[in-house]
Amino acid sequence: MDNFFLWLGMGLFFLVLLCLYRGVFGPGVLNRVAAISAIGTKTLVILLIMGYIYQRVDMFVDISMVYALLNFIGTITVSKYLEMSGEI
Amino acid sequence: MNIIQALSIPFLLGGFFFFLAATIGLLRFPDFYTRLHATGKGDTLAVLLSLIGLSVYEGFSFTAVKIVFIAVFMFLAQPTSTHAISRAAMRCGLKPWVKK
Amino acid sequence: MTRLTDDIIIRAVARIMIPFIQLYALYVIMHGHHSPGGGFQGGVILGASFILYLITHGLEEARVRMSELKAGIFSASGVLIYSGIGLLCLILGSNFLDYGRLSIILKVIPAQARSLGILGVEIGVGITVMAVMFSIFFDISTGGIILEDEEIKEENG
Repeated sequence: MDNFFLWLGMGLFFLVLLCLYRGVFGPGVLNRVAAISAIGTKTLVILLIMGYIYQRVDMFVDISMVYALLNFIGTITVSKYLEMSGEI
Repeated sequence: MNIIQALSIPFLLGGFFFFLAATIGLLRFPDFYTRLHATGKGDTLAVLLSLIGLSVYEGFSFTAVKIVFIAVFMFLAQPTSTHAISRAAMRCGLKPWVKK
Repeated sequence: MTRLTDDIIIRAVARIMIPFIQLYALYVIMHGHHSPGGGFQGGVILGASFILYLITHGLEEARVRMSELKAGIFSASGVLIYSGIGLLCLILGSNFLDYGRLSIILKVIPAQARSLGILGVEIGVGITVMAVMFSIFFDISTGGIILEDEEIKEENG
């Protein structure tokens, strides 16, 4: 079961690198915001899988909950600012 | 590895499949609004399936209830942030893509 | 008073979320011994909930909930709690922030008095961090110019 979690974590990390392409080369700033939100969602699952590999789940659950909260608040803040300033 | 832990493997594999589909959509779709569809819907379902799979692996304990709380929060928060981004694009005048 | 650019979906979802975010922040402060967390981390999450309210509901409604005066009073009282516990230990005849002497007042063994002393200090830190984060965001968003109530009524005619 440990090997399965390890391969899953590495596969998700490869998907994060693929999303980073859209974050660097997206035409305009809104594409980059969408890519960062997607990277944050994948990071949440990678953190929980790392908790299972190290067998200290109760520590990593608190960290991933905080990361989900801050990802949500950050995306709403940036999109509100971009709506006011009129830049795509 | 007993039967309850073996039950979590289909959930995790389904979640990985939807993550893969959402990322391929984010890279290959032609317009901003279509890419937002891919990442907004695909990522939400993938996270829900993965978190349910991980909580089933844990069994009946306090940690599994906390993981279900994270899943409920993601179910409410991810579509809201997608809506906020698309509203910002609409207000700034980004036109949808038309197939010629 | 809602602005033209506020969206009803984001306002409704933020209204549901904010009490639970604050409850989670209090949990993070209180559980600093056994899990990752403590005073500063819980204070940041508590401040982030107020910033979410400020973004989605506008400046005027956020000023009704937490004005500049209240933010200043909160930030000062957090430091008061911190140094008050330290001075209490000094008065009882030991060093500054030596929580073991609190067992004279609380009537518990010194090891438990140390644990309770650290918890009190973390609560003070959390309150101060929350007030300062909200105050910094408020000052940046208004640019330092705050209209009093009479000037707003004059402008509106």
